[in-house]
Amino acid sequence: MTLELPFETVLYEKAGPIATITLNRPRQINAVNTQMRDDLYQVFSAVRDDPEVRALLLRGAGERGFCAGADITEFGTAPSPVVARQVRWERDVWGLLLSLRKPIVAAIHGYALGAGLEIALYCDLRVASEEARFGLPEVTLGMLPAAGGSQTAPRTVKRGHALELVLRGDFFSAQDALRMGLVQRVVPREALLPTAQALAERLASLDPEAVAATKEAVYQGADLPLEQGLALEQRLAARLRRGRNRDA
Amino acid sequence: MVQYESIRVDRGERVVTVTLQRPEAGNRLTAQMAGEIEDLAQSVRGEEAVQVLVLRGAGGTFCAGEDVEEMAREREENLWLGPTGVATAALAALDQVLIAAIEGDCLGAGLDLALACDLRVAAEGALLGFPEVTWGALPEGGGTQRLPRIVGRGAALEMLLLGRPLEAQEAFQLGLVNRVVPIEGLEDALQELVDLLLTRAPLGLRYAKEAALRGSEMTLEQGLRLEGDLNFLLQTTEDRAEGVRAWIERRPPLFHGR
Repeated sequence: MTLELPFETVLYEKAGPIATITLNRPRQINAVNTQMRDDLYQVFSAVRDDPEVRALLLRGAGERGFCAGADITEFGTAPSPVVARQVRWERDVWGLLLSLRKPIVAAIHGYALGAGLEIALYCDLRVASEEARFGLPEVTLGMLPAAGGSQTAPRTVKRGHALELVLRGDFFSAQDALRMGLVQRVVPREALLPTAQALAERLASLDPEAVAATKEAVYQGADLPLEQGLALEQRLAARLRRGRNRDA
Repeated sequence: MVQYESIRVDRGERVVTVTLQRPEAGNRLTAQMAGEIEDLAQSVRGEEAVQVLVLRGAGGTFCAGEDVEEMAREREENLWLGPTGVATAALAALDQVLIAAIEGDCLGAGLDLALACDLRVAAEGALLGFPEVTWGALPEGGGTQRLPRIVGRGAALEMLLLGRPLEAQEAFQLGLVNRVVPIEGLEDALQELVDLLLTRAPLGLRYAKEAALRGSEMTLEQGLRLEGDLNFLLQTTEDRAEGVRAWIERRPPLFHGR
């Protein structure tokens, strides 16, 4: 059974244990505006709260790309930096994405720039099609990445690569992305969705508690000194064992 | 105008190039050279107009390590912070984008200096390594801390424990250098990189570097907060307004660094 919910700027579909969120402003190459941030806040919450959903697939509508970044036409419309900052942390849509315990696969075609690449960096696994073009061009606009890119990039690829792509701000190819470890697979365009779908299905078939514990061990542990990370892993493993014993 | 003896400083309006100037000794680092690097770095630090600093070596080599006689003398005097530590700390304190242009030997203290930079471009034939373990010593300029953070733990341990240098191509594959070019292509590659960086917003570059480097030393959540706050700061700048205007008007932006 497939559930489909239309929001203004995103599509939310659920088929069995897999939820698919499609960024849906194809005429603007799915540029992220305030409405999209609000819509995403709702669908991420739905993914978090729906016990049937075991994996999330994130993609972009239209032919031109996954997401070309934040909607520039909205820049300068915030009342003040003070208010903008307050709103940013009160309804932290990217924090919500980062906090999801379910595994997330990004299927990237065409452009993944700025906020678009940053959204993909919050996902656990990234598959790109051959023609995909990546970049964090914020520095060319007098800005720096604002959706986590300056933090997630160095934690995903090596520091030299992260500094280069943030400081240069120009585009790079799917092949470069693969070489850096920014994406896990590069496939022909027609294979993109099937590959991402297959990955999501594999993830959805695993014990959800084990997957959630694995994510937590890796992400939380990365912020800890090794000894504390090992202790975290032990606690998570023990909790999993207790849960399995209870269910057995 | 300060006159240095062991480094040469070429100052452009927005780019400063520092050339280690002891080619007869492989540009090996002495206490005097470290002091001059420290002095130069301190003068550059306050200059908002300078966006990029390029570090390189004269005579076709970057830096083959600490000067051996100096090393012996410094050990005897039991200094707390040796010359390499002084020089790398001075460079690491800079907000500007640091590029190491590496030809020939980049060993020991030389690699410490290169690792304190943000981007590294190497010429084919360059050698990068930490030989200290082969004479019972330890890198003193931050190498044991920066190397694993840059190439990952496995590769860093291999380099530090075996003391075997890597060739440029191997270094590139590890992410230790950003590019490898033929020796005759080094100047062009450097110029291309510098020119590109100079078209970017000065404050954007500084804060992006700060967010990426300082943020990496915090938890992700704290780093995201740092990034957010630097963004709100940038939102108050003229350059950001200009950047957006230029994008809308489909023209190159004209940044002023404020």
